[in-house]
Amino acid sequence: MKIEDVVCTFCGCLCDDLVVEVEGDMVVNVENGCTLANKKFMGNNRLKTPIKRDGGNWKKVGLDEAIQTAAGILLDADRPLLYGWSGTHGEAQTIGVHMAELLGAVIDNTSTVCHGPSIMAIQEVGHPGCTLGQVKNRADVIVYWGANPIEAHPRHMSRYTTYADGFFLKEAFRERKVIVVDIRKTETANIADEFIMVEPGADYALLSALRAIVRGKGDVLPRTVAGVEKEQLIRVADICMSAKFGAMFFGLGLTMSRGKYKNIRNAIELTEELNRHTKFTISPMRGHWNVYGSNEVFTWITGYPFAVDFARGIAFYNPGETTSVDILKRGECDACLVVGSDPGAHFPGDCCRHLADIPTIQIDPHVNATTHLSRLQIPVAVTGIDAEGTAYRMDGVPIRTRKVIDTTYPSDSEVLDKIYQIIRKET
Amino acid sequence: MRFLLNTGRTITQGSNVEHKNSEAYREEASTCRMNPVDMMELDIEERAPIVVRSAHGEIVMQAIPDAGQARGEVFVCLGPYANHIVSPETHCTGMPDFKATVVDIEPTTEGVWPVWKLMESVGGCRYED
Repeated sequence: MKIEDVVCTFCGCLCDDLVVEVEGDMVVNVENGCTLANKKFMGNNRLKTPIKRDGGNWKKVGLDEAIQTAAGILLDADRPLLYGWSGTHGEAQTIGVHMAELLGAVIDNTSTVCHGPSIMAIQEVGHPGCTLGQVKNRADVIVYWGANPIEAHPRHMSRYTTYADGFFLKEAFRERKVIVVDIRKTETANIADEFIMVEPGADYALLSALRAIVRGKGDVLPRTVAGVEKEQLIRVADICMSAKFGAMFFGLGLTMSRGKYKNIRNAIELTEELNRHTKFTISPMRGHWNVYGSNEVFTWITGYPFAVDFARGIAFYNPGETTSVDILKRGECDACLVVGSDPGAHFPGDCCRHLADIPTIQIDPHVNATTHLSRLQIPVAVTGIDAEGTAYRMDGVPIRTRKVIDTTYPSDSEVLDKIYQIIRKET
Repeated sequence: MRFLLNTGRTITQGSNVEHKNSEAYREEASTCRMNPVDMMELDIEERAPIVVRSAHGEIVMQAIPDAGQARGEVFVCLGPYANHIVSPETHCTGMPDFKATVVDIEPTTEGVWPVWKLMESVGGCRYED
């Protein structure tokens, strides 16, 4: 059976035009998907039953025992950390936030190590963004800054930018100018009309130089800035100011480099300067398929987008203090629940050491690096394949993901709700 | 020889992200892309093992040449190998310096660890399917 308009739950593009062919409880073919989507839908690497560690040995346990164990660990903890949430649907994220409030826990999502700094900048100066539909139909200048969509968001260019024909751009490939800024010559840089190779950690200086040119103060600049010739900067600023509609997309090359959220603030302020000349927007290239959703859900319930600490009985947010890496670095949490993420692979080694020291529980369909650090793992259905739920695309558009096969795995929501009900009775 | 370690996504890493115990994931996540001239100076052959050392530890990877890489800079896809030697310092932002770790690189005869062994080295316990 072929199912049309299936949503891919891999990256923040949330492509919703996949055609998935299923036979029984197996996906046998995927059309329109990128390499990442094909691998995701055709994958057959699920953990089959809950597993629990007993000293140095793992044993299989039933779902009820696993849920009781998870609830017990969280109830016993003085300062539990509930981390992840970007690889699950909004309904499960909601339960997670309510659970954190009951436990007096810290709840944090993966934006803490991806676009957390972008959100901090947006909190300072706002977000002149737009939907990807606007970009597709209007943008004749595209800037990718510290982002490599060919590797990380493989259909971003074909659905929304470089190769996507739009209402006002009938021959996008010829009519759109693409500017790429990076510290290395990536595959994306290879197809750019202008590639700016910036020195590592010097993005802030480069953004400031562009702002000066756009403001008409380019004469104060030296011959090169951050390893880039002034002539190229003037040329790029001209392209941007002459655009009918420009769209800048930035990635972790800005959020993780020296300057962090101040880089993003400067990029937003460059966008503001460009809006004195034309229409220009700026948007983060969100990684996990529902990391934007985790920020939305956390914000509408607590007022804060990530790193929310309920230890005081009210929601408290202070990046650098209530963020997961800092809490783990200080050895502060005494239990951790991981949902829809893999901190074992994506946190610094010193943080992994603390995750191994404390009872760490993982709710995830697959065996990953965190599995080896955990005391308990509960396998669940994969949202978008055998579970459905709400997700937010990288531009903030909510999309309902679909279930294309039936399996016996419970969804994230079902498992979390059972744990939540036990905690609610005991607190 | 001193380098700046940068990390980021690759499509091979993304393709194998749900198979982290696989050989394909180990291969990609432990591959260090270097400027060919830097490799020549250090006398490192393609796919030869190297030890990458920071102030926070060391890890064995394999080197491959990448002409898009500037001299003095190396790139490893995000994952447990690169992160093993990244500092947890966040400068009060919550975000470690994933793209700017100063490392020393030299050839070695050691082999690359599988992911489970890396996790065991920080106190974890191997789970096998």
